[in-house]
Amino acid sequence: MPFFYNTDGRLIQVDSALQAVSRGSTTIGLKTKEFAVLSSQVRPTRALLDAAEKIFVVDDHLGATGSGYIGDVNTLVDEVRVAAQRHRLVYDTPIDVTTLSRGLSQFLHAFTMHPVRPFGASVILAGADELGVHLVQVDPSGTTFRGQGFAIGKDADPALEAISQGYRPDLTVEEALALMTRAIEGANGGKSQIEHGVVRLATRKFERLPLAT
Amino acid sequence: MTTTVGIRTSEGAVLAADKRASKGFFIGAKGVQKIFALDEKTAVAIAGQLSDAEYLVSLTKAERRLLALRRGYPLNVRETTKLLSSIIYSGMKSYNPFFVELVVAGVDKEGAHVYTNDMSGALTSEPFMSSGSGSPVAYGVLEQGYRADMTLDEAKKLGEAAVRAAMERDPGSGNGVDVLALPNGLHTGVN
Repeated sequence: MPFFYNTDGRLIQVDSALQAVSRGSTTIGLKTKEFAVLSSQVRPTRALLDAAEKIFVVDDHLGATGSGYIGDVNTLVDEVRVAAQRHRLVYDTPIDVTTLSRGLSQFLHAFTMHPVRPFGASVILAGADELGVHLVQVDPSGTTFRGQGFAIGKDADPALEAISQGYRPDLTVEEALALMTRAIEGANGGKSQIEHGVVRLATRKFERLPLAT
Repeated sequence: MTTTVGIRTSEGAVLAADKRASKGFFIGAKGVQKIFALDEKTAVAIAGQLSDAEYLVSLTKAERRLLALRRGYPLNVRETTKLLSSIIYSGMKSYNPFFVELVVAGVDKEGAHVYTNDMSGALTSEPFMSSGSGSPVAYGVLEQGYRADMTLDEAKKLGEAAVRAAMERDPGSGNGVDVLALPNGLHTGVN
């Protein structure tokens, strides 16, 4: 029965889902008190292919990116987009990042409780709300991490190493974007197409940046 | 039946209500509480079916508590009234309406607010609002007495006067007045 705990107390399906994430494209997030940035490598895997969309607007004040099976990422992004609009419908205010990430975490966790395939995707959420700027990573198990910087996907470890080396709490957005690009290109060993998204505390707006080539 | 009044001033918000519960043409109870606190700085005055209103207050308290615990800060007055109207609206649309008209008042980071929720889920906000069978009489007093630059104390007196006037002419209202004042500055941190 591969769906339940093995004799070491591990959930093999969840471990496999995490492995699927680490095969995805390099994706990183970083935040300071003033803003958060999301960056993801969009690598066309063969000639004549358009780059896939990897930075997603969830709501005015919220963005997401992910790594793993892109279909799973898309489904999870749809899930949080609906949650954000449902909150607006009931409370008439933009959803806070904590409530949103908790909802996503519960959704993912439900798939670890039944004999089904867990999502093969991790998501990084960036947003600004009443409490400030938030950066959250949610894994296939439903585990939530909050912090200043995250890296998921292929070469996540060297990418995280690079952003932690270059991180300062007083980074500007431009410096942060340059750091993100350096981290992804350094980890992948060469120039690559990277998509960025930025959310600022001052405006509480998340914007996707045009593809840097 | 009932008369309730809500007044918004630059110093805070006031709620007032009578104490009579009617059973048709009979006075069912003479000392009913019609003003309920949702928290230290948000309160609601109820008119209509008492059971529906009390259930709505309990449900709203629970939902507010859950959201505040999850996100780490309380709901502001607008969020609270919108939550109430969402519940009331879904009730109406599922042929199980809540027979209530609620006046919600509170203070938050933005200052004092007064809203009215009717049984259709409609949400309206004005400097002074009234609900219940005595509201036409109460509105007469409020229209005459309200000023934009009222103090909180003057608003308390006006609210009580409006309910007392309604009690004189509306058989559904009577048996005394409850008044609640919510001064600005009760909020801490966000909201």
